[in-house]
Amino acid sequence: MPLNQTLKGKTYQELTFEVERDRATQFSLAVGEDDPRFLEAGAAQAEGFPEQLAFPTFPTVLGILVSAQAVTDQELGLDYSRVVHGEQEYEWKRPIVVGDVLKATPRIGDIYSKGPNEFLVIEAEMTDADGEVVCISRGTLLSRGTAEGA
Amino acid sequence: MAQVQAQRPEFDALEVGQEVFEAAKVIKREDVKAYADASGDQNPLHQDDDFARSVGFPGIIAHGMFSMAHLTKALKDWVRNPAALRSITVQFRAVVYMDETLVAKGRIASKNEATKEVTLDVWEEIERDGQIVQPIKNSRAVVSLA
Repeated sequence: MPLNQTLKGKTYQELTFEVERDRATQFSLAVGEDDPRFLEAGAAQAEGFPEQLAFPTFPTVLGILVSAQAVTDQELGLDYSRVVHGEQEYEWKRPIVVGDVLKATPRIGDIYSKGPNEFLVIEAEMTDADGEVVCISRGTLLSRGTAEGA
Repeated sequence: MAQVQAQRPEFDALEVGQEVFEAAKVIKREDVKAYADASGDQNPLHQDDDFARSVGFPGIIAHGMFSMAHLTKALKDWVRNPAALRSITVQFRAVVYMDETLVAKGRIASKNEATKEVTLDVWEEIERDGQIVQPIKNSRAVVSLA
């Protein structure tokens, strides 16, 4: 069954997420990061950063929470067993650091079809405690074989 | 392992078409498990061979975001300065199995003299059964070398 196209632009509940040191370090180690700026505060501060850096794709941790609301939205009608991650974009305004408290309001950026497949774009602008944008995430989920007439 | 460049790249020295980084990583089951725990993505497709086989794969596959992280690390190791990263946009086009060697590559696509921003074509390759497969292709990254 096709996705509900009328939900383009729908926003979901705002999420708040604190970048904790242990989680940031765990993420860095999991992606094979051995650059000390991503593993301890001192090395990052020596280069003028306020704190230990989070790995650039660390927003994935928040992204999973971001997409969960849309993915489970009954109105949208997404069958998760048909879904694959098609595209991902991160736009960074500054490095994310330990102690950042990020807020994000997930939004359905677009819903479109190409051939038999449908594409669901979920966007989130992540802002810091000062309200400044830190990172913008755009993830595209591909729903296999659900387009009208497929 | 990727080599962290000793020096930051200089805008003027870069040429369009030049390949600037190449970083290989062998994808191990324990690393994919560690990534699942760190990211919170516990989809059984990345941990349970029986489940993966039930949906048509020969065994578990790596998270697309795990492959993207390797590409991002290669980009970051090349540019050196984490604050220089502006954006990365990837398309996931093929799955990655355990014990395959994933090679992240980047090539200068264009240079903006006014902003000192450099756009790269970025991609990942695997050699599988004598053929080159690209789990990430048609993808772009932008760094600022101001």
